[in-house]
Amino acid sequence: MTDLTPITALGADKPAKQQFGPLRISENPAAALASLALRRGASRPMPMGLELPGPGKWAAGHGVAAFWTGPDQWMIEAENRAIEDFAADLTAHAAGCSITEQTDGWTVFEIVSESGDAPIRAMMEKLVNLDVAAFGPGSATRTGLHHMSVFLIRRSGDRLAIMTMRSTASELWHVLEETAKGLG
Amino acid sequence: MLIPHPLLGLRDAQEFTYLGDARLIERPDGMAEGAEAAFADYVYLRDNPAGVHRELWFHEQGDRSWLVVTRDTVTHEILGAELARDVALRGKGGAA
Repeated sequence: MTDLTPITALGADKPAKQQFGPLRISENPAAALASLALRRGASRPMPMGLELPGPGKWAAGHGVAAFWTGPDQWMIEAENRAIEDFAADLTAHAAGCSITEQTDGWTVFEIVSESGDAPIRAMMEKLVNLDVAAFGPGSATRTGLHHMSVFLIRRSGDRLAIMTMRSTASELWHVLEETAKGLG
Repeated sequence: MLIPHPLLGLRDAQEFTYLGDARLIERPDGMAEGAEAAFADYVYLRDNPAGVHRELWFHEQGDRSWLVVTRDTVTHEILGAELARDVALRGKGGAA
């Protein structure tokens, strides 16, 4: 069999991780992702027992998390399960729904603040044209960031995840790096 | 310009792309009598009002839904927005 060497979305052999003042930005290659869409007229499932969130929201529990991506559509995240066939497992828990594997199609960067929510809010104000005050913990949305299409997830007051398509991961890392440096 | 998305609230118009007159939803029946004339009108004829206009906007960098936005083309005031899916279903007499 061909001997392949796995690399991360940024082309390295280890996930990126860097500290900028109070902010720690790290690439999260371990999260499995799958999208879930309802068929017409179908009722909303509770995959793995998780209640799927409403528009603009993110919810976690039962070992998975989900955020709303559009009418009757969600993205389901499973921490540390990127090497498994998560979509197959999810299909078994959401009968009749359309499930599509998304792991590695997206690159997730986790931003964690060591001094409360102020640095996270400052980052968001620099990066995206959203109402930061209204984007509290449990919010998630898709928006434009430097002409890239990204998802933002406010996991908690001091944590923000930004994900982009894998092909634009290095551009997003560059933007995050420059912005975080500028805040210091 | 901010567009009041019916599900997500006020969103920057830069997240959207514009298609045009919302009458594009009312596609004629291609098998009906006089379909050729109906399609000629559908494809080529547009009202171009100076005033209140209903238009299709796509939330491309967002939840990817189509909206019908009512906008005053003179003042750029946005008077309302609803999901194009609801408008289309209402047009067909179905439940939204």
